[in-house]
Amino acid sequence: MECRRKKENQKSNSTFPDEVLERILGMLKSRKDKSTVSLVCKEWFNAERWSRRSVFIGNCYSVSPEILTRRFPNIRSVTLKGKPRFSDFNLVPANWGADIHSWLVVFAEKYPWLEELRLKRMTVTDESLEFLALKFPNFKALSLLSCDGFSTDGLASIATNCKNLTELDIQENGIEDKSGNWLSCFPDSFTSLEVLNFANLHNDVNFDALEKLVSRCKSLKTLKVNKSVTLEQLQRLIVHVPQLGELGTGSFSQELTSQQCSDLESALKNCKNLHTLSGLWVATAQYLPVLYSACTNLTFLNFSYAPLDSDGLTKLLVHCPKLQRLWVVDTVEDKGLEAVGSHCPLLEELRVFPADPFDEGIVHGVTESGFIAVSQGCPRLHYVLYFCRQMTNAAVATVVQNCPDFTHFRLCIMHPGQLDYLTQESMDEAFGAVVKTCTKLQRLAVSGYLTDLTFEYIGKYAKNLETLSVAFAGSSDWGMRCVLDGCPKLRKLEVRDCPFGNGALLSGLGKYESMRSLWMSDCNLTMNGVRLLAQEMPRLNVEVIKEESYETHQAKKVYVYRSVAGPRRDAPPFVLTL
Amino acid sequence: MFDAAMAVVKPEMKSYIWLQTVDGSIQQVEEEVAMFCPMICQEVLQTGLGSSKTYAISLPQRVNPAMLGLILDYCRFHQVPGHSNKERKTFDEKFIRMDTKKLCELTSAADSLQLKPLVDLTSRALARIIEGKTPEEIRETFHLPDDLTEDLCQEEKLEPLRNITDDPRIRLLNRLYARKRKELKERKKLKDVEVEEEPKDERSVEDLLSFINGADGDIKGTRANKNKKKNRRRKDHAKDISSENTNENDKELNPLPSAYHDVNFDNALEASASKHSRTQNLPAINFSPKFEFIDGDVDDDLDPAMKEELDREVEDFARRLNSDWPERMQILSLGQDRRLVPISMNSNGSTHLYTGFDQR
Repeated sequence: MECRRKKENQKSNSTFPDEVLERILGMLKSRKDKSTVSLVCKEWFNAERWSRRSVFIGNCYSVSPEILTRRFPNIRSVTLKGKPRFSDFNLVPANWGADIHSWLVVFAEKYPWLEELRLKRMTVTDESLEFLALKFPNFKALSLLSCDGFSTDGLASIATNCKNLTELDIQENGIEDKSGNWLSCFPDSFTSLEVLNFANLHNDVNFDALEKLVSRCKSLKTLKVNKSVTLEQLQRLIVHVPQLGELGTGSFSQELTSQQCSDLESALKNCKNLHTLSGLWVATAQYLPVLYSACTNLTFLNFSYAPLDSDGLTKLLVHCPKLQRLWVVDTVEDKGLEAVGSHCPLLEELRVFPADPFDEGIVHGVTESGFIAVSQGCPRLHYVLYFCRQMTNAAVATVVQNCPDFTHFRLCIMHPGQLDYLTQESMDEAFGAVVKTCTKLQRLAVSGYLTDLTFEYIGKYAKNLETLSVAFAGSSDWGMRCVLDGCPKLRKLEVRDCPFGNGALLSGLGKYESMRSLWMSDCNLTMNGVRLLAQEMPRLNVEVIKEESYETHQAKKVYVYRSVAGPRRDAPPFVLTL
Repeated sequence: MFDAAMAVVKPEMKSYIWLQTVDGSIQQVEEEVAMFCPMICQEVLQTGLGSSKTYAISLPQRVNPAMLGLILDYCRFHQVPGHSNKERKTFDEKFIRMDTKKLCELTSAADSLQLKPLVDLTSRALARIIEGKTPEEIRETFHLPDDLTEDLCQEEKLEPLRNITDDPRIRLLNRLYARKRKELKERKKLKDVEVEEEPKDERSVEDLLSFINGADGDIKGTRANKNKKKNRRRKDHAKDISSENTNENDKELNPLPSAYHDVNFDNALEASASKHSRTQNLPAINFSPKFEFIDGDVDDDLDPAMKEELDREVEDFARRLNSDWPERMQILSLGQDRRLVPISMNSNGSTHLYTGFDQR
């Protein structure tokens, strides 16, 4: 290696020695800049290669561990994504793949000093977590988001063996929660923890072990506990860590005496650095006031599991003058969103989730009225995820007129094929207004009844679009073609239940190698059309998920992605690689 | 006596270090300023040099007089105790305001003198210059060669020759079908060339990996340009074939029965009338001869039903491509449609067509 580097140095045509150039490139923060400099010339390619410490892989099958370790010899931090996003909607079968273990085996040999691992939609087994805990002596940070395959036994391995652990962030996983005793596996000498998040576990935890852990980790800045932690227990934890920046409260429900209530309020008031608050799984309006004094510096409220009503939210928001990010459930209704518009002038991101997306009878939730109210009061809004039951073209046009800087616009009208409920027209003009007005738009999710006109608008105006999600929309192949032809920066296209066929698929031949992935499920694709794509583009992996027991010429689920690693080596029988 | 005391004190007020740059010039620098550089400090302590002009310290090659002047300005300011952090920060911000070339030279010189604070300062400034730029902009700013993709360009130059040599004999049903498969083979061959290069030159793989790791607009733009270029060549090729088809059609159309002519003209009109039409079925009158031809072609290992479906898909695909042509190209496209029937009549037509193509 040293010889190779010296040899390369002889060919240097720059004013820098290698170590200086590597130091300069090592100071670049963004992934985009790092990738850019590696495309400048051979010398910079090599300098970036040797200086890089962290790597992001958006699709675990786009590259193999062997290729990665050859390309970047000095990695300390790996971020890896696995299954297609539609696995969140149960469209990807169990045992599809994305197992982390083969990566860990190679890392153990090539990156023995690995410190950080951040995984999303990967399959992680307890054996893999034990392997991770034992093979990487400097390991510090583990983040598992929307992963599956492991249990609290795996967490016990991490707690037992990772002596330098600073971060354990377990969120939204399909985890087998056997018991809460994994917390007692942290050694008594362990004091380095800074982030602890087990909010989505269900079992009672060993609270004594938790309290001891929290009290001795003086650098703890993020603590997110699960439902089983009571308000009294929460208070006992908080008094140990007044330096907290992020707090997840658990259920936030319990009968308290007035003294206990006062103690909790006092403990929360003492957390002067608190900027992020989440939890309140079973919020009781009676106890919300204890939070008020802690809200002064909050920038992020994550109440995506908190069934607050509009009154509860309104009273809380009065105390949150610096709020920038807000996630709520649609139980806050339009009145709650009007309060957002009134009290949160700095808001940049709003997500409104459905409390019960399948509940047909109840008349509640948010509408275009709430959406307009937020846009009127929050001019900095640039990220929105909005689940609602009805919407109009005019309302969306008003919203983007009020907030033209959207980079992420995800509108989910919950009933497929729903019209503008006032005019009974398609929702084409709504999304036309979005792409015409929001020139910085990077991510778009469309819904409602849409014809190909929407996609003509997208192809014509959305010049910065990177990710598009489409469901139950479009009239013909033309719609998809407009998007593929017209969006130069498109990286991910996710399509389900649309009438796009082989012609649409094949119209993107010149596009897919510059995209990260294409997902099409329940469209009008045939096996022959997909085969033709695979034949034409050998550097793409073209996979069909075949769950039907009968023979059919239809290709129900198609996943296309570029890869330098070639076909998958671990495909299960129902994944056909063409 | 008083005068004598002054004389004694005066020589002791300043000590100097003598430094020599690579061009041979020697200068005298205050000791405390020069010693602020770790490399110079080491030299003085280890070798005793620097005490006189004759025994000046030789500085590394990367330190020229101009850079040395800048570095000493930096050292003069920072070696003085008592400046506040704010004052130091203000000085630094003004200090690094210079053009990129000079900033690069300064970074290199400071590194050779092991003056880490200054290297960090200038490195950070250079990193800020790099942020947000495209590879082309960075090459321009830093005067770097575009040597990463040189080999790829050369490969492209070789491609036509290779194609001509390897072009196989056309034996397919009709003009459209043949063109499509030929395009497939050509592109596959191109990919094979790249694959062959892979063991020898890892860069294309690593380049793509880097692209995948941080895929974004600017880099994708670079790649999109390549794709765009490829597409353009393909279109030109298609246009030439279409012209050839027109000529062939003019020559062969007359002997055909007028019924064929009318049917295909209607067919073409129907195709042009609906830009967004789905797969279009050929008239039955054309179907039977084609099928017969399929049965007679023992070399073809495709299943007839699969071939038929593939044929429709290829036609649909070609229509998508054709729809991108300017309006006047539609005439050629119509001609192409008319040409379908003669090809399907017999294998001689196909051979003849191939001959024509070769002559082009």
